[in-house]
Amino acid sequence: MTETIVKNEYDVLEQQKQAVEDIISVRLITDENAVFSRTDGGFVSLTFTGEDGKTVEYNRVAVHRCFPHSDPNHYISIREPDGDGREIGLIEDLSSLSDETVNMLEEQLSLRYFTPKIIRLKNIREEYGYSYWDVVTDKGACRFTVRMGSGNVYSIGKNRYLINDLDGNRFEIPDLYEMTPREIKQLDLFI
Amino acid sequence: MNIRYTLPDDEMEVLAPLIKGERIEYCVPFDLDKNGNFNQGGWVAVTRKALYLLQDGEIINTIDITATDEILCSSEVDNGILVARKDGQDSFICRFSMRYMTQNSYLARGATLFCRGQNRVIESREREKYCPQCKRVLPGTNECPRCVGAGRTFSRFWDLCGAYALPLLVITVFMAVSSVITVGQQFIQRDFIDDVLAPAKGTASQVIMFFAVMLALSLLSLTMSTVNVIWSNRLGTKISRDLRGRVYAKINSLSMDFISSRQAGELMNRVVHDSAHVREFMENAFAQMLTRISVMVLALITMLVMNWQLALLSLVFVPLAFILVRAFRKFERRLWRQQWRFDDKVNDRLQDVISGIRVVKSFGQEERETVRFKSYIERLMQIQRRNESLWATLYPFVTLIITSGSYLILYFGGSAVMSEDMTIGQLVQFIAYANMLYMPLQYVSRLPRMIMRLKTALERIYDILDEEPKIDDADDAKDIEIHGNVEFDDVTFGYKSYEPVLEQINLSVNEGEMIGLVGSSGTGKSTMINLLMRLYDADEGQVLIDGVPISKLSKSCLHRQIGVVLQETFLFSGTLFENIRYANPDATLLDVIRAAKIANAHDFITKFPDGYDTYVGERGYNLSGGERQRIAIARAILHNPRLLILDEATSSLDTETEYQIQEALNRLIEGRTTFAIAHRLSTLRKADRIVVLDKHTIAEVGTHNELMNQKGIYHGLVMAQLEMHM
Repeated sequence: MTETIVKNEYDVLEQQKQAVEDIISVRLITDENAVFSRTDGGFVSLTFTGEDGKTVEYNRVAVHRCFPHSDPNHYISIREPDGDGREIGLIEDLSSLSDETVNMLEEQLSLRYFTPKIIRLKNIREEYGYSYWDVVTDKGACRFTVRMGSGNVYSIGKNRYLINDLDGNRFEIPDLYEMTPREIKQLDLFI
Repeated sequence: MNIRYTLPDDEMEVLAPLIKGERIEYCVPFDLDKNGNFNQGGWVAVTRKALYLLQDGEIINTIDITATDEILCSSEVDNGILVARKDGQDSFICRFSMRYMTQNSYLARGATLFCRGQNRVIESREREKYCPQCKRVLPGTNECPRCVGAGRTFSRFWDLCGAYALPLLVITVFMAVSSVITVGQQFIQRDFIDDVLAPAKGTASQVIMFFAVMLALSLLSLTMSTVNVIWSNRLGTKISRDLRGRVYAKINSLSMDFISSRQAGELMNRVVHDSAHVREFMENAFAQMLTRISVMVLALITMLVMNWQLALLSLVFVPLAFILVRAFRKFERRLWRQQWRFDDKVNDRLQDVISGIRVVKSFGQEERETVRFKSYIERLMQIQRRNESLWATLYPFVTLIITSGSYLILYFGGSAVMSEDMTIGQLVQFIAYANMLYMPLQYVSRLPRMIMRLKTALERIYDILDEEPKIDDADDAKDIEIHGNVEFDDVTFGYKSYEPVLEQINLSVNEGEMIGLVGSSGTGKSTMINLLMRLYDADEGQVLIDGVPISKLSKSCLHRQIGVVLQETFLFSGTLFENIRYANPDATLLDVIRAAKIANAHDFITKFPDGYDTYVGERGYNLSGGERQRIAIARAILHNPRLLILDEATSSLDTETEYQIQEALNRLIEGRTTFAIAHRLSTLRKADRIVVLDKHTIAEVGTHNELMNQKGIYHGLVMAQLEMHM
């Protein structure tokens, strides 16, 4: 009786250690150990062979960038889409994979990330604590609203700005000084 | 928030034959295509049978809901997608920006209920962010202050003023009289110049008389305006006091639902700032506005009567000056705003570095931070210098241009005096009136903004005053003596109705039983307590006390007989005595001492120099966590509740204090129905039954031993804690 309890407790502890191990280890995904393929539903599935030689199939995987702004094509994290979103592995360099796989993953990345770049600033109207923006982005024309006050338009590097709108969308100005003087003057109030 | 948009006619026409009379239960827009390009004109419509995807008047996808397991709304980076799941296979449905995220989450949740064959239709309690008509941001209200007719705002303002008829009347009368004096004074001055000064044959007694009259009028006018200011202030403060009182009382009576849908800061704003806006308007704007406008009108009429050509000439400059003033104000705002923003930035930086000074020092980065800070203040200095010099140069010019109308009058009027069409006195009078026209311009240009501010403040205040409390005593609310039987009957609840925190909870608790609630954070332990205290009403099912649904109990009956000890004890500013007596203001000194003794608090309290009179709270004596906790227990003991709730009551304490508190708690628990939430499982040793919550439902129920033998979740938790504490 006592022995089984001790053994059970040992198992629990062992499982926990395993879980910790799983979290801290870095697993790299390459063409050798992983096969990605398109699903009918418009996502990507993965057959992955781990270091222990076990092969696991995932119906759908989530594709995240570790450095979405500074280095979008390196360190792509492949994760389970549900639950805790456990990381299956990391792709060190996207371009090292086969073209077909790269295409597939890029599709998924473009499905995940949405930060339109502002190409043209048509107008900013300011009224009672909010500014109403009318812009053209690389994703098409759009209007959005920004709460005045500091913090919603902020720099993330030299001349590069992000704008948070009221709904939680983000818009990017890739280079302030590529904009026309008139546009810069309009933006002056915010930066 | 609207989750049942009305489809445009074209779309409806296409859809109608397909749905065959089924009702569209949810309908929301989506605004992105799969590649993430903006693409307006997309709609998702859900009936109980199917989900339809429409784009530009065509149906582009149909999903059979009855053959789908789940519709998911998955949030990606700054956008979201709807996904249909069937046997673990996901299919993309549509994509949208954050603008429609919340609506689509509701839709997904609602559709999933249909997938599972449930008939429930969910509602959104979230508020609309934008005015559906003008697309402007709503200031946290149900209705847009811009779009509600001026009539309603005015009638609200009138309602507000109704109670203050007397002071309003006094202000108006005084103001009218003082305007007449201001304008009339000029006539006397004219006569003084024309009859006494210009011909230079007035007598000394005439001079004295004019002097006396002018002085008297000035004094009168001064008195009037002083009285006016005093009355306006009095009116303003009165109105804001009344409003604050009303808003505060209303907030207190509203349900947690309403309160938690707004941030604490926002509600404070409404009590403090919005009512202050109303006050400011009454104090500064109201009287002044009326005075200045009536002076303007009176002056203009007199000018027209005296010399209409000259009057029109000076009027010509008014619009010009007005435009100039506005443009200048805009420029000025821009200038200062820029400076403020940079000022903020410098302050942020400073705060960052000073609060992180240990990190800066321990990594030896002082030098770098100094250089960086210097570059900031250098830039700030440049902006300041530029602004100040711009300001200093421009301001006199602008004033000159604004008042240039009076130079014209000087020229034409001067000519008229030369040709004896006008007397000197008249010219002086005329110039004085012209100034009365020009001077208030700066002020008038600010008016629309002030009125809008008043409108917004009123709208925000009435938004609360008009709200109907959701959880209110039913007409047949009962007042019973609670014994302590509690039952959760098939309870489902979520703070957002698309995200259930508790699903189908069934639990029956007997009088005097102690229940330990266990589970990882976010599983709904505190939510169960919130429902029991009726801070919220269950979405489905009901909570019963002694067989009576709590919605049928009066709030006072319920709260009188429930006691709570929370993890963080909030002590109000006041003495310890007042704090212990908070729930029972009638308790005697002896009652309080008894309660404190049971709570193990009497000893440390009497050791304080001020004993029970020790002042605590914001700026008061600083009690330790354990001491605070024992005060809270004393409070609960004095309250003598039939139902007791301990929400992590001992988790922030060290082991020794915990032991003492546990002792005190045990005495409190004795004989009462108790619900105890605890992370540290050792505190639940005394529990009769332990309820383990997992994934929003009750996963395990039983005594400690039973659950240990089951080797389920509870067993795992206990083992994990043993490991950690060893």
